[in-house]
Amino acid sequence: MTTQRRRRALAALALTLLLVACGTNDEAAESAAPVEGPASGELTVWAMGAEGEALGVLAEAFTAENPEVTVNVTPIAWDVAHDRLITAIAGNETPDVTQLGSTWAGEFAGTGALEPVPDTIDSGAFFDGIWETNLVEDTAYGVPWYVETRLLYYRTDIAEAAGITEPPTTWDELFTMAQAMKEEGGAENGISLTVGTGSWQNYLPFVWSNGGDVTAEDGTFSLDSPEAVEALEYYDSFFEAGLVSPQPEGFDITPAFVQGTYPMFFSGPWHLALVEEAGGEDFADKWAIAPMPAGDSATSFVGGSNLAVFEGSENRDAAWKFVEFLTRPEIQAQWFAEVGALPSVESAWEEEALSGDEQLSTFGEQLQDAKSPPSISTWEEVASTIDDQVEQVTQGDTPPADGAAAMQESAVSIGTGGE
Amino acid sequence: MSSAAQTATGGAARQRASAAVARRRRRRRTAVGWGFAAPWTILFVVFLAGPILASLVMSFTDFGLRDLRNPVGTNIIGLDNYVQLLGDPVFLQAAGNTAYFVVAGVPLTLAAGLLAALGLNRAVLRFRTLFRVGYYLPVVTSIVAIAVIWRFLLHPDLGLINLLLGLVQIDGPNWLANPVLAMPAIIAMAVWRNLGFVMVIFLAGLQGVPADLYEASRIDGASTWDEFRYVTWPLLRPTTLFAAVITSIGYLQLFEEPYVMTAGGPLNRTLSVSMYLYEQGFGFLHLGYAAAIAYALFVAIAVLTVLQFRVLRSQT
Repeated sequence: MTTQRRRRALAALALTLLLVACGTNDEAAESAAPVEGPASGELTVWAMGAEGEALGVLAEAFTAENPEVTVNVTPIAWDVAHDRLITAIAGNETPDVTQLGSTWAGEFAGTGALEPVPDTIDSGAFFDGIWETNLVEDTAYGVPWYVETRLLYYRTDIAEAAGITEPPTTWDELFTMAQAMKEEGGAENGISLTVGTGSWQNYLPFVWSNGGDVTAEDGTFSLDSPEAVEALEYYDSFFEAGLVSPQPEGFDITPAFVQGTYPMFFSGPWHLALVEEAGGEDFADKWAIAPMPAGDSATSFVGGSNLAVFEGSENRDAAWKFVEFLTRPEIQAQWFAEVGALPSVESAWEEEALSGDEQLSTFGEQLQDAKSPPSISTWEEVASTIDDQVEQVTQGDTPPADGAAAMQESAVSIGTGGE
Repeated sequence: MSSAAQTATGGAARQRASAAVARRRRRRRTAVGWGFAAPWTILFVVFLAGPILASLVMSFTDFGLRDLRNPVGTNIIGLDNYVQLLGDPVFLQAAGNTAYFVVAGVPLTLAAGLLAALGLNRAVLRFRTLFRVGYYLPVVTSIVAIAVIWRFLLHPDLGLINLLLGLVQIDGPNWLANPVLAMPAIIAMAVWRNLGFVMVIFLAGLQGVPADLYEASRIDGASTWDEFRYVTWPLLRPTTLFAAVITSIGYLQLFEEPYVMTAGGPLNRTLSVSMYLYEQGFGFLHLGYAAAIAYALFVAIAVLTVLQFRVLRSQT
């Protein structure tokens, strides 16, 4: 355990001792357009997870178009990506282009290390929800690369056994369906709703669908608005009714869904392949996906990844050209074929690979009504307080109104990171 | 000048010369000494003393996200971090959890280790080496691997523990998701993992107890319990002190077990001080605040160690 401490101390040293050049923190809404003509020089690109492994293919295509350029892709595992970027910024050893998680823009733009997006990138080409994840005080610091949104996965066979043939379209129907699946369908639970780290992704869609939001129009937090309290009450009602039993750390919903212990859950497009694989051939007609059930609206969560260029990149022209290349509709469709990442560019959905697939078009429709949390530099911290209170309310004795009030109180004291 | 004076002057010169040689030799020896010590000294100063000092300074600043690219631009805020700590309910809960883990875990680990050592110290037992290896194996196994395996063992539906309980018609609880049972489950795992280390220390201690003392006490008619109470236990005092101090220092830094098994949940019931430090420092980049937590933990370790020395110091 002492190595732990030593490592922490080392990180502290690295941060204090490395005196780095102070970045220019200008408030310009956008940076200069990249110089015209083919890209050249060397380009370092950081990409995470499966994208990091596969990006080489697109880099080759880019090099074919721009023979003068060399693209070096560094794959980084998702679980260390955040720390690696922080260390790189502190040590001024940043790459030219990086992939960013969709909730990270606020935080990294807050360090002054990202370059604003030039106007050669057309903001209108992307889904609004994911474009907004890059906006920090109206300045865009990243470009959407791919998206994901959350839908309802449900067991059609268990629903039928409970006498339900249509997917739920309203909150009431969702609750009734969960109840019926447990009581008449014979499932152990009615639905899976997450608690603990990351549960805000499951909870916030209910707040949005009820007309609430994380922040009000003036930018102040509104986590205890009547709409939010109602959403939390609704979320909690599934637990109160005994329709969700607590899940242990490291719980995997896929086998539980196939076994039928949790006949419904909300998740993103990656679960299509996971469920297919875990279920096998006989399982194909036993499940389906459906859009978010509606409250006032049927708003889901939009996540995904963005691409950002670092301030001080020695090859920013080539960097922005590479970003522009990755967001062309045909390249986005090719990328979907490669790793299954859903295009962030709306027109890419008309490409053949996507338009023919019924399940995918359900995701495409949901993307028209999907939101993301505000890009504030303190988001991770606010998210963790939401997670905490969702847990207190659903697992502890805290009434929803008190939980929402506690969320609001800690969020206000954390602040939005603006000075 | 007389010859005597000349001799005297010559002697003085010789003396001066030899003193200079001695000085030079000493200097060289010092240089050689430092040369040999240099690899450690340099590593110590750069990688240990430096960061320790830097983090102490950092604990008096509000070092955070915005200071990453320009560390000298951070604000000195004096003791604010420490004041904030005392009023931070999550930190207080983490401190309480850690105290619970130490207060319950250390005596249990020592008792289990001592029992194992006493048992294995008896020459009559067959396969003694096998048992020793068995008890010691968890100590040398990666803690993360162990924690992952225990997470499976404690799984409410598929876990071995609940399956065994099921055989005797007991409906096992959802251990790690239960606010009351999560910490005891982690303590049980820590005791199992660390008793091997304590056992080895106690085995060494037991071998240091002179056999004639046992012989004498037996002649005086002492029972097995008396023998343990009046011979073994007092002579094991320094061993107990060592085992207690090492175990406590390790337990106060509880991190990997809850990090892997519960992520600090449910309801923050297994959140430890080290985990909270990690979350604040590397999750939210409140590095100043995290440094203050580290120093609070350091003080707690120092105080507990001093206390243990006071209580358990050999009275002979």
